[in-house]
Amino acid sequence: MFGLFRRKKDTPRTERLRALSLFVNLTPGELKIVDGLLHERIFLKDEVIFDKGDEGQAIYIIIDGSVLICPQGKPVDGQVIELGPGTFFGDLALLDNSVRSAQARAAMNTTVAVFFRADFMGLLETHWVIASKISLQLARHIGMRLRDTHNVVNRDQHL
Amino acid sequence: MNEPESDSGPIVWASIIAVTCLLLLAFQKILFLVVPFLVALMLYYILYPLVQRLVLAGMSRGTAASLVTLVFLLLVVLCGYLMLPWITLHLIDWQIAVERYLQGGVSLLERSLAGLEERYGMLQRARLAVMVGQRLNDFTSSFAEHYVAPIALGIAGWTPSLLLAPFLSFFFLRDGHHFHTFLVGAVPNAFFERTLYLMSEVDQAARAYFLGLIKLTVLDTATLAIGLWLLGMPAPLGLGLLAAVLAWVPYVGSILGGLLVVLVAATDFPTEPAMAAWVAGLFILVRLLDDFLYMPLTIGKSLNMHPLVAVLMIFAGGAVAGISGLMLALPVLGVVMVVCEAIGAVVTDSRLMARYWHGRALRKAQASADL
Repeated sequence: MFGLFRRKKDTPRTERLRALSLFVNLTPGELKIVDGLLHERIFLKDEVIFDKGDEGQAIYIIIDGSVLICPQGKPVDGQVIELGPGTFFGDLALLDNSVRSAQARAAMNTTVAVFFRADFMGLLETHWVIASKISLQLARHIGMRLRDTHNVVNRDQHL
Repeated sequence: MNEPESDSGPIVWASIIAVTCLLLLAFQKILFLVVPFLVALMLYYILYPLVQRLVLAGMSRGTAASLVTLVFLLLVVLCGYLMLPWITLHLIDWQIAVERYLQGGVSLLERSLAGLEERYGMLQRARLAVMVGQRLNDFTSSFAEHYVAPIALGIAGWTPSLLLAPFLSFFFLRDGHHFHTFLVGAVPNAFFERTLYLMSEVDQAARAYFLGLIKLTVLDTATLAIGLWLLGMPAPLGLGLLAAVLAWVPYVGSILGGLLVVLVAATDFPTEPAMAAWVAGLFILVRLLDDFLYMPLTIGKSLNMHPLVAVLMIFAGGAVAGISGLMLALPVLGVVMVVCEAIGAVVTDSRLMARYWHGRALRKAQASADL
């Protein structure tokens, strides 16, 4: 009970979570709350994580391994993005339940942490400080992606 | 590609009704476990936000659950300790009051039947008033010796079972999350996201139902107490609370509560028949408020089912499992509905099934790679 007034230290698991860009601003206590909400899943190489058109209910954070984001059923065609440890995908699902815009497949045996939208909505009501820190990181990530897209479009126009 | 919500076919609905009836039948046999489990679930939903606050403040989940449960138990014991002398002091008065109100009810019925006999000769020839009055008198005169002891023994018998409730709620608070993770961990990858979504739907429906029921009881009690107080009825708060708790049995409970308070009005104001009419009017008003204002505000559409299905299921529950069936029909139907619809949606989704078999094949290939 006296632990209430003691500053919490990171455990190896929370240290690993802090390394993920989405949770970089969270305190050890806050990480512990978020840790309780994450589900760890292991996908084997070539296993489908979600399909294009699925209703998005969760964001996936890669802990170990890598994931291909590709057009539906075309993991070897041109427009393929490979994501590595520490990155996340399916992030728009955290904001609304829009459908997935591409297929996600494990490029190798991959461990992911899954953060469910309903749990994030719960955080917004009960632990709004944590939720706002995660939202800020999410907004930064989406902003960065928007800037990248904008740069690509500009570059293509100049060519 | 995959939509979590789908229309349930007749087979799914037949399964929902059959499973609900079977569960209600089974629950009737283990009512001594089901009732404390439901009370524990209500306590869990009430105490959970406090535990979450303490966890956020840096306390471990186990300590937070222990502390919150302990404080709750201390409050209950303190209330019991403070109220015990008052209860023992009024116990005899209450017994007398019960007999008096029963007699009052019998007199009201006799007066009503006599009135009907005056109007309709057929009833007079059947000597209905005399016959019913005689039977009711036999019942009320022997009520105390035949029924008070079994009721008191019944309450004493339920006490140890109800003591289980805080014990269960403590474990729900402490280990509920582990159980949830354990359950989700057993789901194959292909169905994982869909299952998480449906589990959260069940949890939200149950939370909305139980918390809504508590809020509805408070609102009903307050409205009835104010109304009865304005009409000049005795013990308005107690009567309001009793009627609001009886309303937990859907549809039937509201009628019972209304009859009970009309009985009190007829006994305490035998020369003012208008009082019983005013009380009945108040109950109709509260019923309307319940349907159009309080329920949408509290329970809302937590169960999201057609009213006809709800009413039919309540009576089917009553026929299958008595009073417990009446009370449990809607929450059990709500949970079974979501679970069966989920299983139906997953099993009939050919893409999800294909992904599941693909995942299994990959696992099998990996396990046998070096053989």
